[in-house]
Amino acid sequence: MLARTVTHALVGLEPRRVEVEAYLELARPSFSIVGLADRACQEAKERVRSGIASAELEFPVRRITVNLAPAGLRKEGSGFDLPIALAVLAASRQLPPDALDGIAAFGELALDGRVRPVPGALIAAEGARRAKVARLVCAAESGGEVALAGVEPIPVHHLADAVAYLRGTHEPPEPLPVFDVAHEPPPDLSDVRGQERARRALEIAAAGGHNVLFAGPPGTGKTMLARRLPGILPPLGDDEALEVTRIHSVAGVLRPGAGLIRVPPFRAPHHSSSAPAIVGGGAAAPRPGEASLAHRGVLFLDEFPEFARPVLESLRQPLEDGVVTVSRVGGRAVFPARFQLVAAMNLCPCGGRGDPAVRCSCAPDRVHRYREKLSRALLDRFDLSLSVPRPRGSELAGEPGEASAAVGERVAEARERLAHAPPSLDENASDLLTRAVERLPLSGRGRARVARVAATVAALAGADNIAPDHLAEALSYRPPRELTE
Amino acid sequence: MSELAVAVFAAQTGEHVLEAPRSRRFEQFRLSFDEVAYRRRLATAGFAWVGRDETAFPPRLRAIHDPPPGLFVRGDAALSLVDRPAVAIVGARACSPYGSSVGHSLARELAAAGVVVISGLARGVDAAAHRGALEGGITVAALGCGIDRDYPRVHASLAAEIAGRGWVVSEYAPGVEPAPWRFPARNRIVAGLSDATVVVEARERSGALITADLALDEGREVLAVPGEITSQLSAGTNHLLRLGATPVTCAADVLRAVGVSPAPARDSERLDERLEQVRAAVADAPVAVDELVRRTGLDPGPVAAALAELELLGLVVQAEGLYREVMRPT
Repeated sequence: MLARTVTHALVGLEPRRVEVEAYLELARPSFSIVGLADRACQEAKERVRSGIASAELEFPVRRITVNLAPAGLRKEGSGFDLPIALAVLAASRQLPPDALDGIAAFGELALDGRVRPVPGALIAAEGARRAKVARLVCAAESGGEVALAGVEPIPVHHLADAVAYLRGTHEPPEPLPVFDVAHEPPPDLSDVRGQERARRALEIAAAGGHNVLFAGPPGTGKTMLARRLPGILPPLGDDEALEVTRIHSVAGVLRPGAGLIRVPPFRAPHHSSSAPAIVGGGAAAPRPGEASLAHRGVLFLDEFPEFARPVLESLRQPLEDGVVTVSRVGGRAVFPARFQLVAAMNLCPCGGRGDPAVRCSCAPDRVHRYREKLSRALLDRFDLSLSVPRPRGSELAGEPGEASAAVGERVAEARERLAHAPPSLDENASDLLTRAVERLPLSGRGRARVARVAATVAALAGADNIAPDHLAEALSYRPPRELTE
Repeated sequence: MSELAVAVFAAQTGEHVLEAPRSRRFEQFRLSFDEVAYRRRLATAGFAWVGRDETAFPPRLRAIHDPPPGLFVRGDAALSLVDRPAVAIVGARACSPYGSSVGHSLARELAAAGVVVISGLARGVDAAAHRGALEGGITVAALGCGIDRDYPRVHASLAAEIAGRGWVVSEYAPGVEPAPWRFPARNRIVAGLSDATVVVEARERSGALITADLALDEGREVLAVPGEITSQLSAGTNHLLRLGATPVTCAADVLRAVGVSPAPARDSERLDERLEQVRAAVADAPVAVDELVRRTGLDPGPVAAALAELELLGLVVQAEGLYREVMRPT
């Protein structure tokens, strides 16, 4: 007796069709899974056995062989539990013979037969759509994700529900409704009082997609400002949203019931994070890291120089190419990682520099070593660098600042302008730039960076050309001398 | 007798030797020392040796009571320090943005007036002085180690820039590693090369004060830049002022002390109204952009643009988020 279900394994962000075949024969009872299944996958045996029993179904007393085909593809994780259980049930005639036609399954079983969500449901569902499978049996929590992919979800809480549905005796529960706005809205810029320069820099960064470095003593609002960048970025378009949601689905950080991610993501990994945590990795099969989770959004690295050198250097590929390539024994994956980098740092290890109220006790050598971790190559990636001094008490008690919505409108207009009619240097601005290159330590890269920022400043001003004033403002965001000398 | 042999002997024995020692060890060394070959090796490395008795040796340095046997020189061979006025600018390594800014502009103005700016290539005030001088003219760095050592290492490119037009000098032969006791000895060369010594910022018991003392011992002028009386970094300079050092409030003060007439004033461009407004708002005290936005009523964009233009004109500098006006030349 043979039965077959379809599911999808994840290879990076790509679904691969996997056929789950169950073969039952009259022989000494046993249960084996073949087809390059990893440990979690092998353990499916115990969950499937107990799950079937808990669903008041009969676990066949047969010699059971489950094959995951193609056998050459490494299978990882617990998403195979549900399809294995269904195949075993079908093979033992506990399901109607054609019940599994046109149906895929994806989910983990609890020992009591409940169906648990597994990261990557969105991608498994996309695989189902591509394979022209119309319906996907999945955990109730994954229903929303599956629906996003354009596949009809059959969300179930329990293996018994799935069986009842397949026997035609029971309608599945409605999938959790999909809200585009189910994600928390990002914090608003109006919370920031004073900080006119930093707010302005944030607006330019949002309009031009520039990376920003904030340097200043602790408690000056660097983190607060960074968190407000996603709120002034334009919401993600359909394709972008799907792309981002897919990555978050694989990483298992998607909230159940939340729909497409429309707000650019904000990720703030701690400075003790390892390189694989940031750019992606995993023991056998590659998993996306923080850089990919921040795709189309903001990657915020607080205490920037405290990150390990290899971590900082590993950011260079995504910053350059917008992708991360991760190679592991289990395969090689390319994850998108086109994020905007916002970094924050103190001016010295003790944090006292630049704060008139605190005396910095760092020796010059120590300050130097702290700043030296930012290689010039890395500093060159920040289009905007600025020192954030401590705001005065009177500023903190002042009026709330402009709201994100108003800033976001200007940002959207400027983006439009930059995309369709990017401003170019007028003659006077060009002269000024030449003068600046002669006068300042400004590398070729630095020159290009200034011109790029100047174009954004001009676009924000609604100008067709980059005037000297736009260029001068752009110059003021070059890395401060204390970081380059 | 060759001073070069003395200098190389000192390097090999790790001692501070000024005169040919009357020891058998030196005698043996002297006999085996091949001066021609050594000079050839120096020249291949792009270095030169100026002995104490040569005419190119700066007379001011020869006049101190313990002049070195000679100087190893890396830099422009055509440069002569013999008849050029020279001023040392020294100060704290852990200086404040104020000290760094003053050291920088002072050096720039002095160098523009034709004065050679002497300092020690240390971090802080020294480096600011060298950088400032490079914008206007010639500077000389005196090291406490071999001229091939580039100490501190961060200033390797600065040293190369200095050697491009000026000199990097040391009494120690190439290869000699920096050692703490060599730095006070280096300070006597900084002071000895100079007609006057300006101390920009110094704590009490700072190395810069040693330089000032050495300058006083040789009867050279000592000047000090006043700082805030509440700042530790001004304790040393304020102490010097109490002892009678000449206060420096502009580059002209220093030029007067060494008898040099100031460089013809650069054609001071008339600033447009907005630049003038922002500059006036910076003049009182170091100030952040946010504060300027409030004081001038301008938007942050135009304020930033004005500040960048003022920076390009060399009228303001930025450090740690605060903009300050640079020292005016007169």
